[in-house]
Order: sequence, then structure tokens, then C-alpha cells
Amino acid sequence: MVDLALLIGGPQGGGIESAGQIGVRALVMKGYDIFGVREYHSNIIGAHSYFNIRIRDTVARSPRLPVDAVVALDAESVFTHMDDVREGGIFVYDTSTLKTRVDRIAPMPGPLKERVKAKLSQHGLGDTVADAIKYLESRGAKLLGIDLKSAIKEVAEKSGRPVVSVARAANVVGLSAALAFLGVEKEYVHRAIEAYFAGKTRVIEPNKIAADIAYDYVKEAYGLGNLPDGPHKGKVRMVASGNDVVAMGKVVGGLTVQTYYPITPAADEALYMEGHRLVEVREELAEKVGLEKLGVAVIQTEDEISAINMAIGAALAGARSATTTSGPGFSLMNEAISMAYIMEAPVVITIWQRAGPSTGMATRTGQQDLLHAMFAGHGDAVKIVVASGDHEEAFYDAIKALNWAEKFQIPVVHLVDKTLAASTKSLDKFDLDSITIDRGKFSYEWSDGEYLRYKLTEDGISPRVPVGFAKQLNSSLEHTEYGYAIEDPEVRNAMVEKRLRKLEAIEKGIPEDERVKVYGSSNSDITIISWGTVKGPVLDAMEKLEGEGIKVRYVHIKTFIPFPVKTIDEVFKSASRIAVVDYNMLAQTSLAIRMFTGHKAPHVIQKFTGRALQEQEIVRAVKEILENNVERVVVSDGA
Amino acid sequence: MARSWLEYRSPAWVQWCPGCGNYGILTAAFKAFAELDLDPAKTVVVSGIGCSSRIPYYINVTGVHTIHGRPIPVATGIKLANPHLTVLVMSGDGDLLGIGAAHFVALGRRNVDLTVVMHDNAVYGLTKGQAGPTLPAWVQTKALRAPNIQDALNPLLLAIASGYTFVARAYAYHVDKLKEIMKEAIKHRGAAFIDVLQPCPTYNNVMTQQWYEQRIYYIDEQEPDYDATIKSPEERGEKTARAIAKAMEWGDRIPLGVIYRDLTKEPFDARIEKIMPGYLEHPPATRPVHYEGKPLVDPFKVFTDRVVQA
Repeated sequence: MVDLALLIGGPQGGGIESAGQIGVRALVMKGYDIFGVREYHSNIIGAHSYFNIRIRDTVARSPRLPVDAVVALDAESVFTHMDDVREGGIFVYDTSTLKTRVDRIAPMPGPLKERVKAKLSQHGLGDTVADAIKYLESRGAKLLGIDLKSAIKEVAEKSGRPVVSVARAANVVGLSAALAFLGVEKEYVHRAIEAYFAGKTRVIEPNKIAADIAYDYVKEAYGLGNLPDGPHKGKVRMVASGNDVVAMGKVVGGLTVQTYYPITPAADEALYMEGHRLVEVREELAEKVGLEKLGVAVIQTEDEISAINMAIGAALAGARSATTTSGPGFSLMNEAISMAYIMEAPVVITIWQRAGPSTGMATRTGQQDLLHAMFAGHGDAVKIVVASGDHEEAFYDAIKALNWAEKFQIPVVHLVDKTLAASTKSLDKFDLDSITIDRGKFSYEWSDGEYLRYKLTEDGISPRVPVGFAKQLNSSLEHTEYGYAIEDPEVRNAMVEKRLRKLEAIEKGIPEDERVKVYGSSNSDITIISWGTVKGPVLDAMEKLEGEGIKVRYVHIKTFIPFPVKTIDEVFKSASRIAVVDYNMLAQTSLAIRMFTGHKAPHVIQKFTGRALQEQEIVRAVKEILENNVERVVVSDGA
Repeated sequence: MARSWLEYRSPAWVQWCPGCGNYGILTAAFKAFAELDLDPAKTVVVSGIGCSSRIPYYINVTGVHTIHGRPIPVATGIKLANPHLTVLVMSGDGDLLGIGAAHFVALGRRNVDLTVVMHDNAVYGLTKGQAGPTLPAWVQTKALRAPNIQDALNPLLLAIASGYTFVARAYAYHVDKLKEIMKEAIKHRGAAFIDVLQPCPTYNNVMTQQWYEQRIYYIDEQEPDYDATIKSPEERGEKTARAIAKAMEWGDRIPLGVIYRDLTKEPFDARIEKIMPGYLEHPPATRPVHYEGKPLVDPFKVFTDRVVQA
């Protein structure tokens, strides 16, 4: 079985993202399944960043430490990741930095410097890169030193370009060395460079030269690795981030308007969509709809308040509309969410959660906005809340969210997070036949006399004719069936009851198997309950633990409103031991479970560092709970 | 004239105080809509919160009553989704220039083909008379506990600076004059703004009917040669300066009429059409999103920058 992990670290602005993306592509071309997550600071140039890539012949879905190979493109990366490579793993470093001392690295956080110095000193070592390399040697790492400065000079000479313009290719030198060591053919590295820099010849050529220099050096000095081709060889696949797949899901789901205000980590979703604002209609359907291309209007607004209100306006006029944001932006949207609810406007709000409170750690992950999403909007405002656990789920959920918004004429929150946003995954073709686009009671025509936007119906959902196609009133005030403002007690009751019936329709319309997925059998040693991107690390940990004789069941919550009361209740009544993984301080998932089912989870596994949850953290936490009956386990792996 | 202005009256009881300037604006709207023969289904009045924002209930066209300060983004969303509708924002000075000022500015920058009719009475009527953003400093209207210590904003200057391409001022009690300006604003292709001076007989006991009528004058009557309509980009500097000077007149003499017009700037829909050809013919509100429930887009055919041959 192939199960490898490769970490590439360096300064932000130093091509860490491109090295990661090229590496991922080369490994997908080699036939493997890939999951790569990027960790980075809220900074443009200089701070430390790294890409952790998991490579498997089964399914890759989580990062893990230690990794099998580290590529450290600068001194800070050597110090930061000197404990992240396994014994016998490869550590690629830049020999031109050997004399650099920890204290000379300006962007490196002070407390980390102190920890590194203390560690090295425990081993009787000083505080230079050379000392860290000795430490790595003592830990059994295979060291692969490359003089990146000379390599870049060589790239410059061979490509006939000035050194400054090819300096960034140092990332590819490091990456290519690691791939050569693993045994990924040069051809794939070249093809990956071409694919990633599609069409940019002036960038492609020096990068290929850089790849060759490192590749040939490794071949001569150490010999190439012998990684066999992976099981996906020959397939047409996709390599996409979570941001990308949500944009794709929305576009496939028929989105016609997306608004946004720039915020990390949501903006990349909107930008990717904007880059694809004109899309081709499937060949077989183009004639049927009489169009060859479809547009998606992606609009940058003046703030998130405008973003949500504009999306609501578009929805009133009949567009399939959505907005995308993160926690701080969602805070600004609260009032309008309440309006969308009473106006019965179908709008989707994608929330890319990051680590708060407040601006907190803007480029780090978390699941801190669960209760915020559930309760946002004053005055008894309700919405559907759906959460995605991985790239495939995110794609289909984006479509589902659009359907539910229109079917139930209600705001839908799609909860995703920074881990998903910044992780790249290899994907197989989506099952287009399984997708249905459902606009509910939507129609452009009205011939049945005066149109009543808020007609009282049995299921609480009124026929919806957009603004512009039947004279109508849409009101944020309590209103009559037509839409006139009114405060009459009986009309008020009738309208509240109407909206309550709609919630019943949602209860009936979203079956249990869309609210929750259960992995593993009830005959297990422990049941883990969680949601979102906790899924990958837990499923991987399940495999690991199974090998050690520990059976784990995983209950993956998909929708918090409506909540999977039946399944969760059964789990609590049948399971011997239950732990909730909660990526937040308040144990919000546990609180939600308690609110809806009355059950109190006896164990909680938490993480606050804002770094992606990893397989080994769950393995460790489960053992800790089973062996020592610990109530609360806090994990914090990852630099 | 195909429709009588009476057709635009809704059956709802109008809840404004007797003598409120809003009545004049409402009547002007009925008449302007009738004279332009606007289709009630395809004409949308969007309002925020406040006394004046009740107006969608009183006009028998499509109405959207939103939340405080947000009628502009909601109206922009409607117009963005369906550029073939006639969309008006009718709201108060507190709504548009207090809580909603960011959106007021953004609309100018986009030059969305909307008409903003600002009911400007300088007070927050519905919360009983607090100072609005157009109330001058040191004025103490009767509900204020102390004189106003915040300066008034000049709505016309802000509109010009923000990029509105039609900027006018009118007076609520002069219904026919207001109606004519409203018609021109609606016909204008781009962001149009009318600052409608409006006495609030209940809470603004300083800027009363008498106060206004001693000061207001019509530019087209007293200065028939006034021309601040930009017909080519070269005229922008000179005519904008003229409009700014006019917009700054306040005090003993308050000019009314069209202050500024820029015919050279593209409206938002034309800009979108440029970056997304086909937008105007198949706008977001009406373009197909599925065929018999099936998706129209195959991600592997469209997002080819993410496709990898293994």
C-alpha cells in the first residue's frame, strides 16, 4: 500500500502554493489520489508557509505528521519542521543557509525560536541550520542538501535570463529533488509544470530547467526512487481546491448571481467563479435551451451588508443567487438574513469559517461559526444550515443549497471552512445524472388573478413569481398575503403559522440520510460525532485504529437545521462510548446535540490552533479516551 | 397617455401625518408613472425604513420594502438580475445618507440605471424627530434635547463626487415640477438622484414650508443658460465645477432643478455586457438554469484549468 506524505515549506511569496500545486499535479499524473492542504500566515511576503500533501493509492483525505519527506526552501522551514519528518524520511534543505542562526530569521515568531533553541540545546547543539541538520541526522532523517543559490544561477545561465527573474524557481528545485527521490518520473514533473503554468512559456521554461537540475543531481548522487504507478493511471481527473469546487457546484447548480466582499478565505471562490463567468452549455443540451454560453454575474460589493442585500434583490427578481463570506462578513449579514426569512427570499450564504473571535487568525481554520450560523438573524428568523465534509460533498451541497433555498423559499447557509478552502484534492468525474435542479414553486407566469406573494398554503410555501413578472409586494414587515404591512393579531398568527408549516415542510422534505451519514458499525469501541472537514482525519484514523484492533464508528452530521434528531438519539441510546470532535472552544457541536436531543456527549476532542486537523491527532485522542477515560482531549499538531 | 394616474394609487391607507411632504412626492410619482406609461409589474419601488419608506404600499406597482439603509443594494440586485425593469429607490435622508451612506456612494461608482428619490426632511420622523444627516449644525428642532452638533451633509455634492450621472433637487410641495424632474430621472440611463426637500410639519419646526418657500428658486426659470450636462469627456472639468458651485448654494437661496448630468458614462449593465457578452439578452433573472431539471454545465468541460490527465 502506498501512503506517503510530503511537506514543502518556505517563505510566503516564494512559490509555496505553486510548488504544492505542481507537486500535486505530478503525483496525480503518476496515478495517485492526493490531498494537499496549505497553511499560511495573514501576510503577502516573508512569513512561513507550507503545503502538506498526502499521497495514497486508496483515498487521500487528510494531512498527517510526521511526513515521509520535507522540502525546506529556507532556514525558517528547516527549524520549523525539524520534528515533522519520520525516521528514515527525506529532508531536503538549502546548503547555502547552513550558517544561518535562528535569531537572524526576522519573520519567525519569537516563542518558536525559543522552543527550537531549547530543543537543539538539549541535544548539545547550537542554533544554526547546520545544528538543525545534525539534529535531523540524529533522528535518522535522510538528508539531501542542495545549494539553491548555485542552482538558481545555473537556471539563469541555461535559460539566458537574469537571476532575479528565475529566483522563484528555487521552489521547483526543492520539489523536483523530493519527487526524484520518491520516484516520480521527470516527464510528470515537466507535464505538471506545463499544466500549472498553462501557456506561460516564459515561466515554464526556467522551471523545467530548475526541475532537471535537481532531478539529475538526485539521480546521480542518491539514485531515483521506485514508486510504482498509482491505480488512477490513465484516468481523466480534476485537481481542485475547496474554493474551486464550491464555485463549480454553484455554476453547475444554475447560479446566475454571486456577490461578495473580499475576505479570506472566501474571496478565492468568487474569483475562481469570475474567471469562469461565461460557461459553455453541455453539447447535448445547447440546442434544447437555445444557448451555447451561460453567464454568471459575479459582483464585488462595497461591504458584506451590500453583498447579502444585493443577492436577496437578485433572488426576488428570479436569479439563482448566492453570496460568499467568512465569519466577520457573516456577522454583518445578520439583519438581512432575517429580512430574507420574512420576505421568503431564496438566497444561499456560503461561510468559509476561519479562526476567531474577531479577526483572530484570519488564514487559519476552525468550526467556530456553527452556532452563529444556526442562530443568525434576529426575531425568530430560521434558515437551513448544511455543512460539507470534503470536496465531493461541497460540490453536491452547493447545488443542494441552491435547490433548498428555492424549494423552501428560505435562506440557506452552506458551512465550509479554511481547511477545505485551502486544500487541493484529486477528484473523479462528478455524477451529473444524479443532479437535479429543483426550483420549487417558481414560475415566470401568472394568470390566476391578483398575485399573492405570501399566499397561505397547506405546506406554508407560496407560489413564487419573480419581481417583474407579476405585480407584487415583498415586505420585511409582517404582511398580508398580498404583502401589505399589517399588525392585525389574526393575520400575524396566520403568517407565523404559515412560516411554521414551511419548517414542517423542510422537516419532511430533507430526509435523514441527507442530514447525517454514519461510517462503521454500531458494534464499535467508540463513536465519534462531528461534521465538516473533521471527516477526512476521522475516516483515516478509523483505518489506522482498526489495524490496531480498535473499532471506531463515525457519525457525520450534514445538516444542523434540520437536525438529524433520530440518528443522534439512537446513537446516544446504543453506543457505549461517544466523543464529539469540536473545532472550537465552546464545544458548539456538543451544545447543538444537547439542544436538539437532550443528550450530553461525555467526551470532547478539541483543537484551537487553527491548523488543519490531522489523522494522528484523532488516533491519539481516541486512545487517550479509551485508555484513560479522559473527558476532554485538546490536540494541536502542525506548525 | 395610456394609463390614468389614479391606476397607480393602491387601496392601502396612507399613514403619514397631515401636511407631510411625502404626499407631494407620492402624487408626483403617480403622475410621472402615468405619463411614462410604466407597466406596474415591471416597475419596482424599493424602500428602506422610515416614514417615507412606507411608499411601496401606496403605489400600485411592484414594491419591495427592505430594511434600514439597504434599499440601494436590494434595488441594485433586482436591476442586476433583470436590467429590463424600471427600478426606483424611494427612501429618506437618514436611510440613504445616514445608515446607508456606503451604498449611496457605491451606486454612483457603478452608475446603475436606477432612480433614487430621497425624501429629505432632515429628521428621523418615525423615531420621533432625531437629527437627520441633512440637518444643519446648531439647529435645534423641537424633539432635540440639545442643538445639533453634527454638520449637515451636502447630498448633491456627495452624489456628484460618487459618480451619479443625473443629480437634481426638487421640492415636495411643487408636485408638477417634481413630476417633471422625476420623469427625466427615470428616463436617464444611469444612476439618477433627486434630493427632494420636504417639510416635516410634525418634527422639523425649523425647515418649514415657509422656510423653504422663501429660499427656493428654479434654475431653469432664473438662469435659463445654466448648462451642466456633460456631452463629451472634455467638458467634464468645466461642467462639473459649475455643477459643484450650484450644488453648494444654500442659505438664502436654494436652487432647484437638474444640477448635473453626465451623458458620457456607461451604465452598469453596459459594463457587465462588455465583460459578459449576452448578459442583456439573457440576464440572470431569466436565463435558463436547467433543462428538465438537468444541469446545463459539465464541470469537466468547463473548468478545464483543473482537469488533469493521469
